[in-house]
Amino acid sequence: MKPAPFEYHAPRETAEALKLLAELGDGAKLLAGGQSLVPMLALRLGVFEHLIDIGRIAELRGIERRNGELWIGAGTRQATIEKSRDVASAVPLLARATPLIGHFQIRNRGTLGGSIAHADPAAEYPGVALALDARMEVVSHEGRRTIEARDFFEGLWSTRMEPVELLAGVSFPIWGGRSGFAIEEFARRHGDFAIAGAAIGIELDGGDRIRRCAIGLIGLGSTPARARAAEAQLAGRPVAEARPDEVGRLAMEGLESVPSDLHGSPEFRKRVGAAMVARAWASAAREARDG
Amino acid sequence: MAESAADRAGRYAGARVRRVEDSRLLTGHGTFVDDVSLPGMLHACFVRSPFAHAAIRGIDASAAQAMPGVRFVLTASDLNPGVHEQWHTTIGKQMPETPRPPLAEGEARFAGDPVALVIAESRYLAEDAAERVEVDYEPLPAVVDYTVAEQSDVLVHAKHGSNVIAKMTTVPASALEPVFASAAHVVSATIHQQCYAPVPMEGRGLVVDYAKATGELTIYASTQSPHEVRQFCARLLGMPEERVRVVMRDTGGGFGQKIMVQRDEMCLMLAAPLVGQPVKWVEDRRENLLAAGKSRLEHADVKMAFDAKGEILAAYIDFVQDCGAYPTPWPLFPAAAVGTFFPGPYRVPRGGFAVKTLYTHTVQRAPYRGPWQFESLAREVLLDIAARRMGIDPAELRRRNLLRRDELPFKNPNGMAYDKISPLETFEQALAMLDYEAFRAEQAEARKAGRHLGVGMSNFVEASTPGYGAYATETAKIRVEASGRITVYIHGGSSGNSIETTVVQLAADALGAKIEDVDTIQGDTAVTAVGAGAAGSRSASMSAGAVRATASALRERILEIAAKKLGASPDEIQLAESRASVRARPETGVSFRELAALVGDPKGLEASVPYTANNPAIFVNATHVCTCEVDVETGRVRILRYIVSEDCGPMINPNVVEGQIAGGTVQGIGGVLFEQLAYDDDGNPVTTTFMDYLLPTATDVPEIEYGHIETPSPGPGGYKGVGEGGAIGAPPAVVNAVADALSPFGVTITRLPLTPARILSLLDRKATWS
Amino acid sequence: MAEVKVRLRVNGQQREASVEPRVTLADFLREPLRLTGTHLGCEHGVCGACTVLVDGAAVRSCLLFAVQADGADVTTIEGIASPDGDLSPVQEAFRDCHGLQCGFCTPGFIVSVTAFLREHPDPTEAEIREALSGNLCRCTGYQGILHAVRQAADAARRGEL
Repeated sequence: MKPAPFEYHAPRETAEALKLLAELGDGAKLLAGGQSLVPMLALRLGVFEHLIDIGRIAELRGIERRNGELWIGAGTRQATIEKSRDVASAVPLLARATPLIGHFQIRNRGTLGGSIAHADPAAEYPGVALALDARMEVVSHEGRRTIEARDFFEGLWSTRMEPVELLAGVSFPIWGGRSGFAIEEFARRHGDFAIAGAAIGIELDGGDRIRRCAIGLIGLGSTPARARAAEAQLAGRPVAEARPDEVGRLAMEGLESVPSDLHGSPEFRKRVGAAMVARAWASAAREARDG
Repeated sequence: MAESAADRAGRYAGARVRRVEDSRLLTGHGTFVDDVSLPGMLHACFVRSPFAHAAIRGIDASAAQAMPGVRFVLTASDLNPGVHEQWHTTIGKQMPETPRPPLAEGEARFAGDPVALVIAESRYLAEDAAERVEVDYEPLPAVVDYTVAEQSDVLVHAKHGSNVIAKMTTVPASALEPVFASAAHVVSATIHQQCYAPVPMEGRGLVVDYAKATGELTIYASTQSPHEVRQFCARLLGMPEERVRVVMRDTGGGFGQKIMVQRDEMCLMLAAPLVGQPVKWVEDRRENLLAAGKSRLEHADVKMAFDAKGEILAAYIDFVQDCGAYPTPWPLFPAAAVGTFFPGPYRVPRGGFAVKTLYTHTVQRAPYRGPWQFESLAREVLLDIAARRMGIDPAELRRRNLLRRDELPFKNPNGMAYDKISPLETFEQALAMLDYEAFRAEQAEARKAGRHLGVGMSNFVEASTPGYGAYATETAKIRVEASGRITVYIHGGSSGNSIETTVVQLAADALGAKIEDVDTIQGDTAVTAVGAGAAGSRSASMSAGAVRATASALRERILEIAAKKLGASPDEIQLAESRASVRARPETGVSFRELAALVGDPKGLEASVPYTANNPAIFVNATHVCTCEVDVETGRVRILRYIVSEDCGPMINPNVVEGQIAGGTVQGIGGVLFEQLAYDDDGNPVTTTFMDYLLPTATDVPEIEYGHIETPSPGPGGYKGVGEGGAIGAPPAVVNAVADALSPFGVTITRLPLTPARILSLLDRKATWS
Repeated sequence: MAEVKVRLRVNGQQREASVEPRVTLADFLREPLRLTGTHLGCEHGVCGACTVLVDGAAVRSCLLFAVQADGADVTTIEGIASPDGDLSPVQEAFRDCHGLQCGFCTPGFIVSVTAFLREHPDPTEAEIREALSGNLCRCTGYQGILHAVRQAADAARRGEL
């Protein structure tokens, strides 16, 4: 399974990459970690005349606190995120999602930005980004802009980025207060894409009421999803009253375009999805309460 | 001749000797076929039909041929006329033929059917060119579902006149009607096993190198039987056998898929004389999942009659199997084994079977580790269903029916006479290893806490070491080299089964050599005698027979020469530590090196004596016991404990025995819980990568526990074959464990695979989840 | 497509060759460099047979193009044993514990396990299994491999890796 021929470009700076993107147009594809792209090339499911390897652009890597948020460069390797104490303390949900991505060999090459820009609805990072209302910093030869997570994921493997744009970094809000986080996913084997998963954050007030909660859903649509109706119903309620299985059921309501494939029908995915929400909810609530 | 304990108890046989294969394999210095590189070597890539059934109106290779580095684009008209004779040695010339044109001729009959062969300077360029070969297909209706193939108007092979390849009935079901009618209990079910495949980590491949100047063809192959490749190829091309040399050093697993030369390899052989330069073809993973052959797709109506005590009165199986479009002849024969063995290691007085094999527009059926294993799946699943229905504990039901040693030999109702096995004994050992009563108590407690644990078991008997036809002989040549080292030349078929180590252990023992002084050369037809390769779990017994027969002759010569040198009579000489010495005066002695120097004969100190098996089969039995937990919210199955209690006779190398059992067992677990070669209704394959065809990983497997019982076989050393058993015993043990876990829900499992979705659908009668 | 010169260190030696950009690192190691110990089991990043170390990190060499590894420091299975040919503790453990049968997946496992134990010298059983889950084996049922990794982990705990 050998890829079709392409021309290879390895810019050292973002500006250079953006110039290439603008010049080369549709026939060009950005190569980050390659863990999703290269298999597609090997299977000849995608053919591109030009690959722009952004793996050598240092300014796309990094983890820093900026304005009360944690900024992570799009080119930062998943393995780096996995080991980062900053991420573990500032964005626990991201830290906990990372070991679920494939296998360690994949994480040694895969990047945050690559996963988010690839926008697979069954992947962990898009689900977490949506759950946490992350902000995507997108650049082109014409300038930069920020796209909120809720606007970023458009459809199956497609985002609101223009073909000449590159994802430079992602800013994750840092939750304070009494918060708890959990991610639970159901996959056929360890490291496989999620058939259904939940990425949950809960923040409680002093009276153990739910100040806010975020229920991100993985593998249950053509994009990552948020169970916003369920979140709205739960806000303000005492956490003790929110039974996990009830939360699970609520979260599955109103889901559209739940995938159907060899691994499961929409009904199966929702059933398992409800169980994953329930388990993640129970775990996050426990952490929020007990600290 | 029966082996004495002294004969068997060598120094190395029975020990966990380190493998001789490992030093090269651990350091990346194995030689697999893709590692072979010859000067001027070209690379091949097939153009394959995307349709399950299509007429081929024309092939335009002009664009492909014009591409850089492309040397040939060959079609059926180029290759197929080159076929002289096309038959497999172990099957024989007389078997009815199933059509197998090397390249599809005028008609493609499965998605993946090879239609053209591109040969270019690199595999990259060959793939580029393959995309540009324009084939004018006219899609035709396809019959993809074998369960409707018999009635379908769409014929896979028009000339055959039917989609039924062949069928047979030993005893019609009606003949047993009186037994069933009067029995206290009759239990029946239709059991379905899904399509899955051997999936060796290394795909098929070969390098063909035809030297026009000398008319010699050298083939480097990934194969379980180099000599079969040679003989098949010589016949195929109408070449003298001695002009064909096949070399195999390392093969990355076969499990049956690399026993027979298949159509893709035939194409390379036929292309070789046309190209006149070495050509390599190595299939990629997509091709392996698409075109290397499928297995296990079959179903049967099974029924058993029991008396009031739960003793089996009769067992009947009506079995149907999908053989794809181009099976290797003659599919009825391995299919009949399912019927023959259906009674298993149980006291079954009456029985019979019907077998039917079908053509469909899908990839050909290929053998896979225990190709007949469906009989154990069907029987053991039915036994558990029967136990639940009769209100008898499944272990107790088996206990009442398993054959005891003192009942042997026992002829099953289909004419198979078992001997030298220990079904009841391995069974009781397995239950003791589990502590069955304790598990049942644990299960009851867990149920109160809403957790669903289950235990499943299976018993089987298999016929290893086929002793007929080409399988019946094996020949080793053993030479004491000038250096004093000993070399054993034997056909082999080493593809992970440790035959090199086995042979070295046996030879060292037979000749009293230090194991580090013994080497083996295998897999090269120019230097090894004909053998049938690694198939039918034959290698342990046949290697032992071959090594012993030759070593015995060589030993006599060594003793003669040593006796003369040491001034004693041959029966006073002992061989040990690579030396010959007088038993009474061990401090005297002469090394093998010195003995070799004494030999005046230019042939040196060597012997080669063919060994012929004395028995049509060597029987092996085992019990598998599995415990599991089922998560009824998600349908996930987690295996807790896994016990294999087996009687493979004396073990040459316990590591090898356990390793073979482990590999087969995990393949069986994979077959129940993870693996499926799936097709849509139009015959398009949907699992052609490892993202969709799921192999078990290290997080999916239990720690396997082994119990061993030793009933020597009548063969040399008392050894039996053990390579296939794991894949036979595991699927029913796992299925039964899940069914046992879900028994409070009244679930009956008769269809595989047991995916989480299927398990949830079984639990929820109202909705369908899959 | 025009070939590009790729220069990198492999098993401590400077190596170079010119290849098309689309040639994977796996094919680059196997073909121009003739290091055939790295095997191709799937070519789409699932089986792990092609695992090598790139700048110390275990990666699937079928998912990297050789051009991406220009300037990198690569270790393949051929570079795991000592220059004198002494097996590493991981290799010894696989040998001692019957951790291989056909040997096709073995180089990928050895390299992966070596990298894993260097970073996690004191792994739990669950961590070992998870770490191994990215490499597929069809022969051993993982039994011998798990034993081997436990033995090698003992060596890692003693700082011998």
